[in-house]
Amino acid sequence: MDPIIATRDLRKVYRLGRVEVPALRGVDLTVQEGEFVAVVGPSGCGKSTLLHVLGGLTSPSTGSVLVDGNDFTRMSDADRTRFRRHKIGFVFQRFNLLPTLTAQQNIAIAQHIQGNGFNPHRFQAIVEMLGLQEKLKRRPYALSGGEQQRVAIARAVICEPKILLADEPTGNLDSENSQVVLNMMRTLNRTFRQTILMITHNPEAAAVADRIIRMRDGRIISD
Amino acid sequence: MVNRMIISNILHRPVRTAVSALAVAIEVGMVMLVVGLTHGMVHENARRVEGVGADLLIQPPNSSFLFGLSQAPMPLKIGDRLAQVPHVLAVAPALFVLNSVGGINVIYGIDLQSFTRLSGGFVYHAGGPFTGPMDILVDDIYAKANRIKVGQQINMLNHQFRVAGIVEHGKGARLFIPLATAEDLLGVQDRASIFYVKCTEPGYVESVTEAIHDLPGKYQVLPIKEYMSLMTSNNLPGLDAFITAMIGIAVAIGFLVIFLSMYTTITERTREIGILKSLGASKGYIIAIILREAGLLSVVGILAGYGGAAVGRKAILAAFPTLSVELTFLWALYAASLALLGSLLGAFYPALRAAQLDPVDALAYE
Ligand SMILES: Nc1ncnc2c1ncn2[C@@H]1O[C@H](COP(=O)(O)OP(=O)(O)OP(=O)(O)O)[C@@H](O)[C@H]1O
Ligand SMILES: [Mg+2]
Repeated sequence: MDPIIATRDLRKVYRLGRVEVPALRGVDLTVQEGEFVAVVGPSGCGKSTLLHVLGGLTSPSTGSVLVDGNDFTRMSDADRTRFRRHKIGFVFQRFNLLPTLTAQQNIAIAQHIQGNGFNPHRFQAIVEMLGLQEKLKRRPYALSGGEQQRVAIARAVICEPKILLADEPTGNLDSENSQVVLNMMRTLNRTFRQTILMITHNPEAAAVADRIIRMRDGRIISD
Repeated sequence: MVNRMIISNILHRPVRTAVSALAVAIEVGMVMLVVGLTHGMVHENARRVEGVGADLLIQPPNSSFLFGLSQAPMPLKIGDRLAQVPHVLAVAPALFVLNSVGGINVIYGIDLQSFTRLSGGFVYHAGGPFTGPMDILVDDIYAKANRIKVGQQINMLNHQFRVAGIVEHGKGARLFIPLATAEDLLGVQDRASIFYVKCTEPGYVESVTEAIHDLPGKYQVLPIKEYMSLMTSNNLPGLDAFITAMIGIAVAIGFLVIFLSMYTTITERTREIGILKSLGASKGYIIAIILREAGLLSVVGILAGYGGAAVGRKAILAAFPTLSVELTFLWALYAASLALLGSLLGAFYPALRAAQLDPVDALAYE
C-alpha cells in the first residue's frame, strides 16, 4: 500500500530580509495510513515547520512531498488550501478556538468550511468520545484548558481528515489533562485508524505513539 | 453558521459596532435630509407659484425660470398689451424684492387688485388688505414661524412695515407689499419681474402662448405645467452640484469609517483568520465573512439612518416651519444603496488583506 506521507529531501528555507534560515535540511519521511507517530527534538529543530509543510500551511522550498498521493511542490496555494480543508486536521499547543463561538459552533464551523454541511451522527460520535456533551453551549473562556483542547481535537477530526497533525497538543496542559488528551488521541488512532503525527517535548507523551521520530537541525536523526 | 459568527463578532465589540453603524446612519440620514430639504424647498416654491393660479408665466427675455435671480424687470405697460391678447382673462404683475431676514426669501410687490382678480384673492386668517404703502401681508406659516401678529411693526429691508394681514399660504410668496413700494425699494419705476397670465379657458393656453410670442420684445412665455416639470433640483445647476457634493461627503464618511473599522478588526482577529485558514477556509470564504460583516453593519446603520432622517425632519420643521423636507422612498433606496456600496468598498481592502494573510504568521500573531 502507498504511504500516506512520503517526503524526499524536503527542504524549507525561511528568508528574513537577507538572512536565510534553513529550517528543514533534507527530511526523508514515510508514514503509513493508521500510524501514530511522535516527533521529538530540541527547540528550533524544525518540527513545527515540518508539520506546517505536511499540512499545506506553507510550501516547501525544494524536495518532494507526497501527501495522500498529492504532490505539494506542484500545487498552488488555493489547491493546498482545498487539500487541507478535506484531508488535514490541525491541533495546536495554543488551543486556537474562535473566542466568540460556543464549543459546538467551534466544532461545526469546520464542517461548514468543508462544505458538506452538518453531520449530526459524526458530531454526536466525536462529542461523546471526547466527553464534551455538557460543554457544548459554553464559549472557550468558560472552558478549562483540557476542555478547550478536547474541543480543538473534536474540530480537527469532525470532517474525518486523512491525517491529524498535532503541534505539542499537551504543551499547555497539566499532567492530568495531558493524560486525558493523549488517551483521546490514542483512542482516535485505535478506533478510527486515524493517522496522527504529533510533536511533543514530553517523553511520556511520545511513549503513547507507535513510532518516535527524532529531529535535530532540520533533519531526522532517528526513526 | 457564518451568520452566527458574524453576529457574535459584531456583538463582541459593541462600541466599534455602534460607531460604524452610526457613521453609516449619519451618511444615510445626511443624504436623505440634504436631498429631502433641497427637493422639498424647490417643490414647495414651485407649488406656491402654481398656487397663484396663472396659466402662463411671462418673464424678461433670456431670463432663467429661477425667479428672483433674473435680470432687469420689464416695463409695466407690457401688462396692458398682454391683457389685450385674445382669451386672456387676467394679468397680474409682480416685482420681486429679495429679502435676507430670516433666511433668503422673495417678497412680491403686487398690485392687489390685479393679483386678486387673477388668483381669486387672498384668504385672510387675520387682518385685511393693504391700506397704506408701508403695509405688508404675511402668510400664515411665516407668521407662525416668526410669531407675527396683525398690526405689528416688522423691520424688512431696513424699513418698518405694518402687518396688515395674515393670509393663507400658497400664493407665490410668503410676503407681499404694494407694487409701488417695491419699486421704490428697488429704485425702479413701473416695472415688473413677472406677469402672471390667466386664460379664459385652459384650452387656450397654446394659442395665447403663440400670440404672446408674436408680440415685440421676445418675452419668455412659460406655461405653468412646463414650469412645474422644470422645477426639480436636477434642473437647478447650483443645487445639483451642492447635493452631489454633500452626498460625496456623506459617502466618504461611511466609506472611511467602515474601512477603518474593518481594518482594525482584521488586525485584532489575525489569529482567528489564521485558525480559519488552518481549517482550510479559502480566500473567498474569508473575504465573504468580512464583507458580510460590513454589510450587516451598514444595514443596521441604514435602518438607524432612516430613523435619524425622520427625526431630523421633525426637528428641522419644528425649528424652521418655513422649510420643507421631502423624504422619498426612491431616495431612501438610493441612500441605502450608496451606503451599502460604500461599506462594501471600504471593507474590500481589509478583506483582501485578511484573505492574503500567511496562515502560519497569522497563527503565531499575538
Ligand atoms: N516564519 C519564520 N520566519 C523565519 N524563521 C522561522 C520562521 N518560523 C520558524 N523559523 C525558524 O525555523 C527554525 C525551525 O523552527 P520551528 O518552529 O520549526 O522549530 P520547532 O522545532 O518547532 O521549535 P519549538 O520546539 O521551539 O517549537 C527555527 O530556527 C526558527 O527560528
Ligand atoms: Mg514548534
